[in-house]
Amino acid sequence: MNILVILRMIPDSAGELQLAEDGRSIDREWLDFQLNDFDDHALEEAILLKEAGGAKVTAVAVGEGANRVLQMAAARGADEVVALQSEEDAMISSREIAASIAAMARAKSADLVLCGVQSSEDVFGQLAPYVGALLDWPHVSGTNRIVANGAVLRVTQERGAGVAVTYELATPAVLGVQTASKAPRYVSGSKLREASKTPIGRAMPESSGFERSAEIITLRLPVQGGSGENLGGNAETVADRLVTILAAKGLARN
Amino acid sequence: MASTLPLWILVITAFALTAWRSRRYAVALANAPAAARFDRPMLRLQGVMVAIGMHRKMLRKPLSGVLHAIIFISFFVLLTATIDAFGSRLFPGFSLAPIGGETWIAALQDIFSVLMLVGVGLALYQRYVLRPARFDGSSGSDAAIIYVLIVLIVASLLLEAAARIVGGADGSWRPVASALAGLLDRAGMSAHAGEELFYWVHVGAILAFLVYIPGSKHRHMFLAAPNIYFRSLEPRGLAPAVPEAREAPGIDSLGQFDWKQQLDLLSCTECGRCQAVCPAHAAGLPLSPKLLITDLRDALAAGPSAAPLVGGVISEETLWACTTCRACMEACPVEIEHLPKIIDMRRHLVDEGRVSPGLQEALSNLTRLGNSMGKPSKMRARWTRELGFPVKDAREEPVDVLWFVGDYASYDPRVQEITRKVAELLTAAGVDFGILFDAERNSGNDVRRAGEEGLFETLAQSNIDEIKACSFNRIMTTDPHSLNALKNDYQHFGAAFEVLHYTALLAELIAAGKLDLHVADGARVTYHDPCYLGRYNGGFDAPRELIRAAGYTLHDMPRCRENSFCCGAGGGRIWQGDDGVTERPSENRIREALSLGDVAYFVVACPKDKVMYTAAIDALGVADRLKVVDIAELLVPRTSQALEMPTVETT
Ligand code: SF4
Ligand code: SF4
Repeated sequence: MNILVILRMIPDSAGELQLAEDGRSIDREWLDFQLNDFDDHALEEAILLKEAGGAKVTAVAVGEGANRVLQMAAARGADEVVALQSEEDAMISSREIAASIAAMARAKSADLVLCGVQSSEDVFGQLAPYVGALLDWPHVSGTNRIVANGAVLRVTQERGAGVAVTYELATPAVLGVQTASKAPRYVSGSKLREASKTPIGRAMPESSGFERSAEIITLRLPVQGGSGENLGGNAETVADRLVTILAAKGLARN
Repeated sequence: MASTLPLWILVITAFALTAWRSRRYAVALANAPAAARFDRPMLRLQGVMVAIGMHRKMLRKPLSGVLHAIIFISFFVLLTATIDAFGSRLFPGFSLAPIGGETWIAALQDIFSVLMLVGVGLALYQRYVLRPARFDGSSGSDAAIIYVLIVLIVASLLLEAAARIVGGADGSWRPVASALAGLLDRAGMSAHAGEELFYWVHVGAILAFLVYIPGSKHRHMFLAAPNIYFRSLEPRGLAPAVPEAREAPGIDSLGQFDWKQQLDLLSCTECGRCQAVCPAHAAGLPLSPKLLITDLRDALAAGPSAAPLVGGVISEETLWACTTCRACMEACPVEIEHLPKIIDMRRHLVDEGRVSPGLQEALSNLTRLGNSMGKPSKMRARWTRELGFPVKDAREEPVDVLWFVGDYASYDPRVQEITRKVAELLTAAGVDFGILFDAERNSGNDVRRAGEEGLFETLAQSNIDEIKACSFNRIMTTDPHSLNALKNDYQHFGAAFEVLHYTALLAELIAAGKLDLHVADGARVTYHDPCYLGRYNGGFDAPRELIRAAGYTLHDMPRCRENSFCCGAGGGRIWQGDDGVTERPSENRIREALSLGDVAYFVVACPKDKVMYTAAIDALGVADRLKVVDIAELLVPRTSQALEMPTVETT
């Protein structure tokens, strides 16, 4: 089985986000980038499938810091790693990259395309359905367990409240992974150092072929709330202070 | 003599049996990987003299030390009796008489036989009446068998001499044996039969002892000296490198331990001194450094087995419990090296990806961002923003002191305040200093001790490259862990930096009259020696000088200096959960400080300690009785407002 797994680099949310001048994107210049967590799970699931039944895993990374993450993927067991070029300093749009991924899936004769169910830059989780549609392959998103039996996949999908459904589908397919069957493993620094010698392939983007359906017109950062006030530990003074605050805000009469 | 042949047979059989019983160890040691422990013979010998001749570490526990010294000296004196007993019959005509065997040597033997019995009596009293907890888990029967054999050997020696006196020998040099002779005489025992009986009991017990030793902790009679001789002479803060011959970074079978690490296992006396000082053991975690050694030893003795070493003979929980505080190695009288073993087995776990979620998160953050908290590097120097003055970028301009700030001091809001205090003190003293800003990475000290050698190398190399590109004279850090890595571990990469702890630098500045401080009125405070400053790097005095210079009186806790008790955060423990902990080491330590009864400040000199001990004090609900202050907070320049001392009720 040939598995293609997509790794997207997203802005590190622990960093200080700042708006770009146009007000429609974040200023990416000073940001650190990290692997999208769900994609990390997709990678783990791919490696688990490889370990369970044998597969060739090709990891494709997009975005800033792709090389570092591809070395990590190689250390974890990916057989081939490819950096997909993308527009610099721009967010990774699923609509934009779907065609490139579909093309790669064909070129690598993939039987299975795995990606994270969503990312902070794709909260609708559109990547898997786009790629599935372009390839005309079946697609399931939100998986938390994938078992392969030859060309037949059993895919479990979490529905909330402990309800889980299991699908059976034939490859080729596209899956959006919510969580891997096992938490992503740790790769040691020595394995990373070894993997740093892995040759990283390059792939040029295909034009998306989609018409723009909507555009971001504005982006807003969370408003910094005022700092909290410690009301102390004495019940009486706390009560007094509370009443004063509520009254000041017009929420209670003094 | 008619007994010559039977004695030869007996002796040869006993030696053969002893060799047979030692065969596994001999084979294991012969096949073990090499270890470079043959350099500097004079220094090594000197260490043996101090450790054994002076019983240096032994005497830290006075009763044990004294009783062991008695038994030890008596053993050497009575060795003359043993030589006499075997020599006279194996080689007819041999006798010690010409050099005083029947005069002064006889007198010494007589007296030391009694002393030996006194020594054994004290040992029995200690083991069966006092019963210190450090013996928990040591083999009781092994100790008992040894006591019986010693008593048998000494008693038969005295009685044999007594029987000879009954038979008409001169007893004037043997007062004790003479007294016993009176008893024997009254019991009506024939002198010749008595002499023969006690002789054979004597040599029989000695040979039994010999045959017994290979399977007993009493191997240390032969192995303690070599084990101390071959001790590590590396700086204490240098974790052992991964040998080039080893394929993976870690160790997952006993045979991969080098011969010295295996010799350690055979030398353990089961004294439990290591267990008594271990913070992990005190916290109720499944780690006793003594049992770690004896479990490994028993596995070595049992030979190859199906059970894996890591996760089998030694459980993963045991390995992760260690704070790498080094108290065990400091306490061990035979210089056993617990930590290199723990680190090597952890290296195997890490290489296999067998790490707890907490550790995985920290290590992943460190891989990605160079700090364990998952904060962007760009925020590393954020603490400088609230200073009233700019801090030099050491990458841009030359500085006298390059300040390696460290993760906690940079990122933790509770510690940043202290970091700023230090910056203010340095400025007040006119020190020309700078920092690396976002180029600094975690020093890798605890990464390395958590067994993540590859990541350590990456972090270290990155720091070394950045540091080497700067122009500076000395490095200073507030963090003992960074101090240790920069000063010791980085030597593996050929980096030899002069690294100072801030306490040393501040003490120097005060001595040079560069800091004019408020002087307190002698209020009593206590001080916690951080493991990586004190035990690892000998930084005991500078902090104490600072406390004195600031006008405080130091009331040390019972466990101080080399015997300081770890806060529980080291070696990657701070990134692991508290599962299985019955009493946090930090809380144990705060209780110790409270028991002093007269201190209001718990002074620390490590950024992690401020966090650990403040949390401990909150957990114990004693914030009104004790306050954690960093040593930098005690030092207040006269230009600022003096520190107000909270009042304490003395108990
Ligand atoms: S280093 Fe400290 S925590 Fe680890 S085994 Fe030794 S005494 Fe215990
Ligand atoms: S390792 Fe050392 S301190 Fe611990 S029990 Fe053995 S001999 Fe004693």
